[in-house]
Amino acid sequence: MYRQAISTESSDNFSSVMVDEPRASNYDAARAGTKPASGSKPPSTALSALRRLIGFFTVLTVMAFALNAMITSGLRRIKTSEYGAWNQMMEGKVNAQIVVTGSSRAASHYDPRIIATTTGRSAFNLGRNGSQTDMQLAVLKAYLEHNQKPEMVVHNLDAFTFETSHEVYAFAQYVPYLYDNEIYAPLRKITPDTWKSRYVPLYGYVVDDMNFSWMLGIRGFFGWSPKSDFFQGFDPRPKPWTDDFDSFRATNPNGVSWPIEPEGIRVMQDLAGLCQERGIQLIFVYSPEYSEMQKLTNNRAEVFGHFHDLAQRYHVPLWDYSDWSHAADTQYFTNSQHLNAQGAALFSEDIASRLQQYIAAQGSSAADLRVAH
Amino acid sequence: MLFNSVEFAIFFPAVVAMYFLSPQRLRVGLLLAASCLFYMAFIPIYILILFVTILIDYVAGIYIEKVEGPKKKAFLVVSIVSTCVVLFIFKYFGFFTSSFEGLAGLFGWPVPHYVVKIILPIGLSFHTFQSLSYVIEVYRGKQRAERDFIVYATYVMFFPQLVAGPIERPQNLLHQFREWHEFDYANVTSGLKRMAWGFFKKLVVADRLALYVNDVYAAPRGHNGLQLTIATFFFAYQIYCDFSGYSDIAIGAAQVLGFRLMENFRTPYYSLSISEFWHRWHISLSTWFKDYLYIPLGGSRVNKSRHIANLLITFGISGLWHGANWTYVWWGLLNGSYLVMGSLTKGWRDRFFGAIGLHERSFIRKATMLLSTFILTCFAWIIFRAHSMGDAVYVATHLFSGWDFGNIKTPQFLLRQMPVALASILALEVGQLLARRKTPFSLLGKMPVPAKWAAYAAFVLLVVMFGVYQNRQFIYFQF
Repeated sequence: MYRQAISTESSDNFSSVMVDEPRASNYDAARAGTKPASGSKPPSTALSALRRLIGFFTVLTVMAFALNAMITSGLRRIKTSEYGAWNQMMEGKVNAQIVVTGSSRAASHYDPRIIATTTGRSAFNLGRNGSQTDMQLAVLKAYLEHNQKPEMVVHNLDAFTFETSHEVYAFAQYVPYLYDNEIYAPLRKITPDTWKSRYVPLYGYVVDDMNFSWMLGIRGFFGWSPKSDFFQGFDPRPKPWTDDFDSFRATNPNGVSWPIEPEGIRVMQDLAGLCQERGIQLIFVYSPEYSEMQKLTNNRAEVFGHFHDLAQRYHVPLWDYSDWSHAADTQYFTNSQHLNAQGAALFSEDIASRLQQYIAAQGSSAADLRVAH
Repeated sequence: MLFNSVEFAIFFPAVVAMYFLSPQRLRVGLLLAASCLFYMAFIPIYILILFVTILIDYVAGIYIEKVEGPKKKAFLVVSIVSTCVVLFIFKYFGFFTSSFEGLAGLFGWPVPHYVVKIILPIGLSFHTFQSLSYVIEVYRGKQRAERDFIVYATYVMFFPQLVAGPIERPQNLLHQFREWHEFDYANVTSGLKRMAWGFFKKLVVADRLALYVNDVYAAPRGHNGLQLTIATFFFAYQIYCDFSGYSDIAIGAAQVLGFRLMENFRTPYYSLSISEFWHRWHISLSTWFKDYLYIPLGGSRVNKSRHIANLLITFGISGLWHGANWTYVWWGLLNGSYLVMGSLTKGWRDRFFGAIGLHERSFIRKATMLLSTFILTCFAWIIFRAHSMGDAVYVATHLFSGWDFGNIKTPQFLLRQMPVALASILALEVGQLLARRKTPFSLLGKMPVPAKWAAYAAFVLLVVMFGVYQNRQFIYFQF
């Protein structure tokens, strides 16, 4: 049985295992020592063979660079969605008077359209999904490099603000802009391999991206733009409350403590220092967080202590919305950290009114409004 | 160093260029140095383990050839035992101590609890078996002992097949290090094509399917029957493409340098029986176990019960070779049982097919056999892939329960991945079928150079663009 099956006991049959089954192309011919089927004559000397191989790999490399350029160009042509927001910023087309910076909480909580209507000042949201403060600072620097200086930066704070990036989330969003040192240098600091995405063609689009962003690029190259789901950088989340928080609480019944890294504090100081140096009014805002989550953050007081220290040191107002009137209502959240579109609309109205009051009062006694909850 | 890394993309052309530019006397040394560099890219210090086994078997080979009688056998035993001790310490020590503790616990014996955390050197089982085949062949007089240490070390460490085979025999590979390999265009290009096909299997098929399989098998109880079924089906393709993809790259890379390695896979899922499957799957290991374990045990030239025992022993140990876990042993034993059952029921099955009018060449009969072989293989893969027998039993008993078509995705594998995954499997099958017929490739060969280049370049770029680069290690590296 085994003789018939797994392998046979005669050496002839063993050697039969060594024989190739037909495979792709000229493999067998090469094995058998015969000339491969070819429409063109095989090169007669090693040198001409080498030339031909080099020729092929040169063509392949050129095609890879061309494809890379096509994808990058396509992504940079997109006018909607996340890439659209990036492109507006990197092309210097934003020039807003009020900009919002921060993480995904910033991106999904502040509607610039409401802020602009209420305050009478143009607004834009620079919040980046999955970003920590170091990358948020990088985005702000890139913005300042390409756009006119805003009057005001509203920086949204998170419980994890003092934790720096240990990996880059959604790396593909940065790839078309790696030529910009304000983006490239911090990415390289987080992931030293970032040079490969900058210099090796296609690397950034295929190695670190599971979302086929390169397909968007190819379509973008031919003038296509995805559905408009970002509004002046604002990324509303239409989803209702999910079970994310319940899962989180089940796995962390004793709560969590967010890291407070010296480097994280330094980055926040850099951000405040940058605004101070450029004469930009900075406002720290802790936007609404689901109240049950606040109870699970064991070192919340310590984190807020650092926020207050920073605010005092750089004379920055700190507006804390932890006790927002709807903070306990899951109807306005999609999970513990993110408001849904309905919650974001309400919050945007609140913050816009407060900004309007602040701006109005600034001429006389702005300091009166520097409230620390 | 991983084949699917930027480092290898630089390393390999550099080695090829230096190899063909070097005179013969420097070539083996160059390959050895390159192989050391390749291996040290994983955990550098582990090269010392390789060096020890190489040294032991090199010296043993010379003495085995020199002496006769009981001394000859003694040298063989010393060589085998010392090589296996290294394998045991690094791979099986923890397994045996925990199994012993479990057994002792059953009888209430007090035993101290040992926790040994050793990282398994990559590909240890592969180069250990390759070393063993050398000393055994020298002992049997089928291979002359290699006097040149550099040549012998290169035989064990040859970088294309160092970490995951094919497990070569000295008769096939050793002499090739002494041969002059011309830079041969046909050889180089067909080697490169073979590598490209291997990369397709690994990057496009295996690594994308792995995203789904890893999620589901990490927590099978959190997934419905449909997800378990899809994951099991995907795993059959994942492991095939991962391992045969590695073999294709290894064979292709060696071919570029002018070397011939043995075939390791011959489209195993086209087998019409489990016995045929094992004739087409991981051939270099199957034949190793046949030559050095199954036949010495008596093979099939013994009475029926002994023959069955020989099969089960061979497959049980083959399972254990794959990993230090009872799941692998059970997987091996299940495959051995398949073969036993296949043998015992062959006459009955032939009569059954004959009775319903399906002769041996009948398409329906072949299709039935192919499908049943694939299903049995998939069933065995459940045990192979599961983290524990408990998980394996859970998966096997819940494959068809609670199918939820609205809940197919997993955290890593969103629904947008599904069409690409299915298309990649389809492309694999089409590629394999075309390769059997050869015609399209012959046509491609007759095309003018620019058209051919465009087709090849398009294929390479498709592999690059649709490849997955998150789960970069090859499954068989752990063995």
